[in-house]
Amino acid sequence: MGRKILDLIRAIIFNRWVLAAIVVLLFLMPSLFYAREWCQELDAFTSPLQDSVCTYLIEEKPVTNAVLLNFTQLFILIILASNWNLTGGFTGYIDFGHAVFFGLGGFATALLMGSSRWEDWPALFSDWSFWPAMLGAGIVAAIFALLIGSFTLRLKGPYFSIAMLGTLVATREIVRASSNISGGGLGLSLPVYLNRPMFYYLSLVMLLFVVNFVRWIRSTEFGSSLVAIREDEVGAEMRGINTTLNKITVFCISAFLTGLVGGMWAYMNTFLDADIAFNQNRTIDMVMMTMLGGLGTVAGPVIGSTILYWLRDVLWANFLLFHQIFEGILLIIIVLFVPEGIMGLLDKDSSGTSLNRIVKGWFKKEPEEHPRTS
Amino acid sequence: MTTEMTSNQKDQSPLLEGRGVSKYFGGLAALHNVDFAIYPGEIMGLIGPNGSGKTTLFDCLSRVQQINTGEIHFKGQEISKKKPFQVAHMGLARTFQVFRVYRKLTVLENMLLSRQWRNESIFRQLRPSHPDTDQRARELLEFLTLDHLTYEQAGNLSGGQQRLLEIGMALMPDPELILLDEAASGVNPVLINTIKDRILHLSNEQGKTFLLIEHNMEFIGDLCSRVFVLNFGEKLAEGTPEDVMTNEDVIEAYFGS
Amino acid sequence: MDFSDLLIQTLINGILIGGLYGVMTLGFSVIWGVMGVINLAHGEFLMLGAYMAWVLNKQQGWEPFLTLLVILPVMFLLGYVIQIVLINRIIEKPHLIALLVTYGLAIVMASTVKLIYTANPRITTTQFSGYWEFDFGGFVLPVTKTLVLIAALLMMFGLYFFLNRTRFGKSIRAAAQNKEAARMVGIEINKVYAATFGICIALTGAAGMLLSPLGSIHPFMGAAWTLKAFAITAMAGLGNIPGALLGGMMLGLVENLLATFVPTVGSSVGIISSFALLVIVLVTRPQGLFGGLKAPQEIR
Repeated sequence: MGRKILDLIRAIIFNRWVLAAIVVLLFLMPSLFYAREWCQELDAFTSPLQDSVCTYLIEEKPVTNAVLLNFTQLFILIILASNWNLTGGFTGYIDFGHAVFFGLGGFATALLMGSSRWEDWPALFSDWSFWPAMLGAGIVAAIFALLIGSFTLRLKGPYFSIAMLGTLVATREIVRASSNISGGGLGLSLPVYLNRPMFYYLSLVMLLFVVNFVRWIRSTEFGSSLVAIREDEVGAEMRGINTTLNKITVFCISAFLTGLVGGMWAYMNTFLDADIAFNQNRTIDMVMMTMLGGLGTVAGPVIGSTILYWLRDVLWANFLLFHQIFEGILLIIIVLFVPEGIMGLLDKDSSGTSLNRIVKGWFKKEPEEHPRTS
Repeated sequence: MTTEMTSNQKDQSPLLEGRGVSKYFGGLAALHNVDFAIYPGEIMGLIGPNGSGKTTLFDCLSRVQQINTGEIHFKGQEISKKKPFQVAHMGLARTFQVFRVYRKLTVLENMLLSRQWRNESIFRQLRPSHPDTDQRARELLEFLTLDHLTYEQAGNLSGGQQRLLEIGMALMPDPELILLDEAASGVNPVLINTIKDRILHLSNEQGKTFLLIEHNMEFIGDLCSRVFVLNFGEKLAEGTPEDVMTNEDVIEAYFGS
Repeated sequence: MDFSDLLIQTLINGILIGGLYGVMTLGFSVIWGVMGVINLAHGEFLMLGAYMAWVLNKQQGWEPFLTLLVILPVMFLLGYVIQIVLINRIIEKPHLIALLVTYGLAIVMASTVKLIYTANPRITTTQFSGYWEFDFGGFVLPVTKTLVLIAALLMMFGLYFFLNRTRFGKSIRAAAQNKEAARMVGIEINKVYAATFGICIALTGAAGMLLSPLGSIHPFMGAAWTLKAFAITAMAGLGNIPGALLGGMMLGLVENLLATFVPTVGSSVGIISSFALLVIVLVTRPQGLFGGLKAPQEIR
């Protein structure tokens, strides 16, 4: 019976119509926001319908800046977790310092947009507009990943994890110490741009891109070779896979995407310093959300991030003081009791039946036996 | 040299040749000044008591281990400075004493990943496996009687089936030289015969060259034209299976004096 | 002070702090060596010890060095319990599991301490302060640091004696080398593990006390210390006590030299130098400088 329920959940989640409906709703959501603005500018309501709708929108405020910000943050977390999953989940290199790329992306964007406090900052790399600056952030993060990865990716297992944790901590200290560039304790201020719907759409588009990108990567030979590296790196290399090249490539791709998100986040936040840009908790978030959803699966980070974000928002907002303690405990519980994550639970012994067939089965007297499809 | 080479072999240059190969772990000599030559198309056995350096030799050939002195030539090229994947690209494949299948991937994916990876750019890898590769993988699985397990996770296979899968993965890139490390150990008698058949078939029909480590003397006797004996990292004897099995040094090394 | 005087004084300071680094590392490296668990909450146990010393010092007026009498048994019990409840479940699991569980433990400990004592930096005050001056050359030995070094050396010697000379210590070493064989000859492996964890945590807590009068302590200091412990262990090899002392002194020297002769790096020097050392050692000599570092099991 439990298996049947899990199969139903799995079928609903992976039904393409359900997914499409969710995406369409997410795209339409800010229109309520704009509708309310439009209503507020009206002098008088001309029809009863308009009257009731506008009254509802203005009184109840179903979609506010805060709601859009919440969703934007959720999307950012999903993107980060998906990126982390590329190295941590597929390739098996558990990166405890992935936030370093996020922070570097943020600082790169800030500096390129001209918020440096240093007079000698080259004019060529200053006063860029947001889009090229964000792209620059990704490139900076990717170059840093290439430099640091060519050392740390030689290390195996826990050695890699700790070396990356060290990279994060050391980079944070170096950035903090080089105060004429990073602003030190004062931090950097970016040009203020408070267009929540824009960031909402940008992060939503990036989310769709990243998830589909990861899915596509997994379907290629390159993606399979990453899993082969996770399963047996020595064997993969002896069977002709250039493991060093492949793992550095995926590390740089992951860093590039993380850097982009960092850049966007910095612009949205309008302020950053070393502590918030290189926040260790961000790495923990990536690890925890991916673990909860299912390490090395495409859907895992999406599911894990959504659930964890919802838990945080709804449940732990009431226990603000204890929320970090709760998160530590939750991490331990996830790792000890559901190491395969939610996707692991759903996929284990799954019949892989599609929603279509399950629903059809309900209306038939004798449901057919269906072969495993996936 | 007790070996009676056929005239065919004398004319050819060796496919794989080692000269003065030594490998030390600390002060321990795992291989000491070993010379060997394998000619195209032959099946050669590599035997020796436990700890005599057989697997170390394989590791040196497939470049997981660095050799300390000596030279290894494969197809006329010096390979002792090459990376493992480069040697694999040249046409040298191997199986492992301890299984090295990708446990969480399906049998088919395991096979597809062992295809011939030429030195191609990442961009060439950014697509699903080529239909020809897929075709070849399925044919090989059928050949190895694993086709009913195509979509099973490799980690769920039995020991013997994993052996066969490893052999399939070694055959997948269509290599010229195949190193088999204890291909018959832990395998039930029926499967052993399957493996034996397949090796003979590949050798006779396709002219593949094999070097096998084996403890099963019957297996060696049935397959190999020449046998090479290692003891404490040094070459003890070389010759036909009959010669070697009656060689007193070999008997002493195996059973003590 | 001219250059050579400054250099010698810097070297003295480096060696003095190196003893603390050495003893701080032992808990980490013995746990890793015996149980194969990389304890990412190591720095947090250190922090806990430091906070116990601070509480007893500021609220009860104890001399910090005396608080060791309380810290050692309390931390031993804490370690024993945590091992049985938590660590025992992850010993046989892949490294990732152990890393994440101890990371979670670290978060819980740090945020609990923050909740109770806020994030303000704290420091203990000891009566043994000031400087001992030498007759020759006018170099000074800071009293507190010297006492810390002596205490650290005593603890290291105690552990060394315990592991090599006592029956129980020998069974710990047996368990580290071959778990099955140790079980076969009648060693109760779970008790050995729990006691080992307890001893290591007690030592770590004591090291936390030792650093409490030297520099400020705060709830989130742990990660940096874990990193240092990891760097020293990478240099020294697992469970290698003299190696840990040497590695600790090396790190202490590098840190002090950098802080003295490279301007503007300031307080961040410790983390940067230990990270640099860590990466250099791991990349160039993965087997460790002074001994064998066990190859980690591959993550599965």
